[in-house]
Amino acid sequence: MFSRMILKTLIKQKSKMLMIAFTIILGVSLSTAMLNVMLGVGDKVNRELKIYGANINVKHKDAAIISELYGLGVNDKFLYEDDILKLKTIFWGFNILDFAPILEGRVILSIPGTNNTGSEVFINGTWITKHAVLSTGEDLNTGLKNLRTWWDIQGEWLDGNDENDKNFVMAGKSLAEKFNIHVGDAIRLSKNGVIKNFVIKGIFNDGGNADEIILTDLTVAQELLNLSGKISSIEISALTTPDNDLARKAAQNPSSLSPDEYETWYCTAYVSAICHQIQEVIRDGVARAVRQVAESEGTILNKTTLLMILITILSSIGSALAISNLITASVIERSQELGLLKALGAFNYQIIFLVLSEIILTGLFGGVIGYFLGIGFAQIIGQTIFSAYIEISHIVILITGAILFLVIITGSIPAIRYLMALKPTEVLHGK
Amino acid sequence: MANNNKRKMYLRLITRSLIRRASRLITAVLAIAIGATILSGLVTIYYDIPEQLGREFRSYGANLIIMPSGENGINENDINRVKNLIGREKIVGFAPYRYQTIKINEQPFLLAGTDLEQVKNNSPFWYIEGDWQNVMIGREVAEVLNLNLGDDFKIQGVKFGGQAEASNQNYSAEENKTRDFGSQYFSEKLNVKGIITTGGAEEGFIFADMKILNDLIEDNFKADVIECSIIANASELENLTQQISKAMPNLEPRAVRRLTQSQDIVLGKLEALVLLVTVIVLIITMISVYTTMTAMVAERKKEIALKKALGAENRLVMSELLGEGILLGFVGGALGVFLGYEFALRVSLNVFGRGINFQWALIPVTIIVFIAITVIASIMPVRKVMEIHPAIILKGE
Repeated sequence: MFSRMILKTLIKQKSKMLMIAFTIILGVSLSTAMLNVMLGVGDKVNRELKIYGANINVKHKDAAIISELYGLGVNDKFLYEDDILKLKTIFWGFNILDFAPILEGRVILSIPGTNNTGSEVFINGTWITKHAVLSTGEDLNTGLKNLRTWWDIQGEWLDGNDENDKNFVMAGKSLAEKFNIHVGDAIRLSKNGVIKNFVIKGIFNDGGNADEIILTDLTVAQELLNLSGKISSIEISALTTPDNDLARKAAQNPSSLSPDEYETWYCTAYVSAICHQIQEVIRDGVARAVRQVAESEGTILNKTTLLMILITILSSIGSALAISNLITASVIERSQELGLLKALGAFNYQIIFLVLSEIILTGLFGGVIGYFLGIGFAQIIGQTIFSAYIEISHIVILITGAILFLVIITGSIPAIRYLMALKPTEVLHGK
Repeated sequence: MANNNKRKMYLRLITRSLIRRASRLITAVLAIAIGATILSGLVTIYYDIPEQLGREFRSYGANLIIMPSGENGINENDINRVKNLIGREKIVGFAPYRYQTIKINEQPFLLAGTDLEQVKNNSPFWYIEGDWQNVMIGREVAEVLNLNLGDDFKIQGVKFGGQAEASNQNYSAEENKTRDFGSQYFSEKLNVKGIITTGGAEEGFIFADMKILNDLIEDNFKADVIECSIIANASELENLTQQISKAMPNLEPRAVRRLTQSQDIVLGKLEALVLLVTVIVLIITMISVYTTMTAMVAERKKEIALKKALGAENRLVMSELLGEGILLGFVGGALGVFLGYEFALRVSLNVFGRGINFQWALIPVTIIVFIAITVIASIMPVRKVMEIHPAIILKGE
């Protein structure tokens, strides 16, 4: 009998129940979409922020910045090229998105066919683009090109995977202007008797100090400088978690942590933890966070996430109120029918049970449809903005489910209280 | 007179029908107000995002570097003119630097004279052990000289206009000493108040107040370079550099491409994200307000039919519904604009720690949008009632 009554209401009041279900669908899809986007946005924005370049720099432990400042000469302390790929083997190797080794040096530049017979210039050898297969069988594509997204290139980038490109170099804009060289021009670089001829493949505009250098493939620079297998530094772009107090404490001195704290720290992608792990695999290396990038990243990330959380809360509250509002209204609308039931001898709890079952059934129906619709919305946002799939968190089902249940119950409370006080005669009197 | 009575009756019909259904009324106004709050709140936030997030991106540091194009430094006059050209409200940080080679323990170092407060505005990412005040030294310097917080160190150097001469190895230590104390040289004891960690080149400098440096070398204010942090996107900054170099040919402004290009891309994505989220939330909210209103008006089919049976013209019934819709939309919309602003303000204070600009245009827009939604939602469900015979609907009574 009871199930028949529910079924009857659902069918007879089809349009009204559909209206409630529809509002629930909208509300649930909104919350689902926003929660998924909110939970995924940190990771997505973090990846976007990688265009600011490297946030970790590895140098030889004895290489001092001071000597670079004065141009007193180039360091004679080097890291080893063999160590570079080990970066992907550390605990947070998966978070290391891009990296590029750099070998710095000075060579003599002369331009054949002109009266410029030799001036000392800075040269950087690097992996412009690098394809490698790791020992795990994983394919890897990285290189400086990914770390210099802001460069404006005249001509073309070197291709590090193309053997023919070993005869080409790139030049910084200021250097090119100073020596009046253009894309396609031939230049000669020499150092201690090693002489090589190159063609300019591209001229880059960095807007900073890099505009004064010549950029070559790493092996080319190693041959020129007679430093095979050596590199000066490694630039690394890693996905990191914004620092908190623990990370700051650890950054000062990891050994000051308790074993528990150490484990938490080591297994969280703090920039200091990643630096620590990098030092474990790079011989003689000291990994330092580039605070300009690392710290600012954290600021932007925290703000964006907080903004999304607040928007999510607003829209969730909005849809919760709308649903609960509609439920209250619809139950009160039915006071005549329910009054009749009371007049026929139904107990309060029976009526309440009836009303709640109807609404919960409707809610379940709307909630399931809304959830899948919401996932669709989240993917629309992910694809449009970040061209990436937003991961679906299962916790969202729990959260929206709990919210929906609460909303339905709170929405029904005023209606239930109204029903309790209902005097059948008063309600039916109007008839 | 008759006209006047008609109007009175019309007003009475509307107010009566609203008062009689107080609970329904509250529900309706609430639904509209929630929708309007979300609309005005989100749109206010959306409009303020470029400005607010743009400021946050300034934590990446200076995005405009101004250097003198000739040999002469930049004087205070130039600085004032540049500041006016940029527009003072757009400047987040503006730090002039003067670099001076000095010697500590006969080793060369670079002392940067600057405005430390402005440096803090420019580069909030610096990590300082100790205090952010005179004199701070880079971590590299501290390690090389083995200096700790609170330690004193002595700097020596050449006064402005004096001949800088590297200490020759041929001079004995005694000779060096006398040379350094000549009238062309200065010597001063400084105290380490802060040690700077940045992971960048700053760690190799000593930072002091510009005034201290000028007093030491006995020269007037003169900057070698100015680092500015300005709220602007790449093209605005490009315009600005052109303006500055045109108005002041003695300066050479350069935008820091790395920051300007990257900021444009990331900020663009974030704006698009907030826009898309706003649009989706708004569409869903509007639909939900619409359905709520429709559900409520549908309840009144019988009442309308009764009115028609009593001889009311379609036009009269319509105009009554219209009036109700306008009134509800107005009250709900107005309430929502106010609540929405409150919400946007809270969000802005929490996220960015700043107030938010109120978009005045939102008042009429929100109210009109919600009047439109309520009116459409009120008329659609009863439109059919108008066409059919009242008896059919009233049959059940």
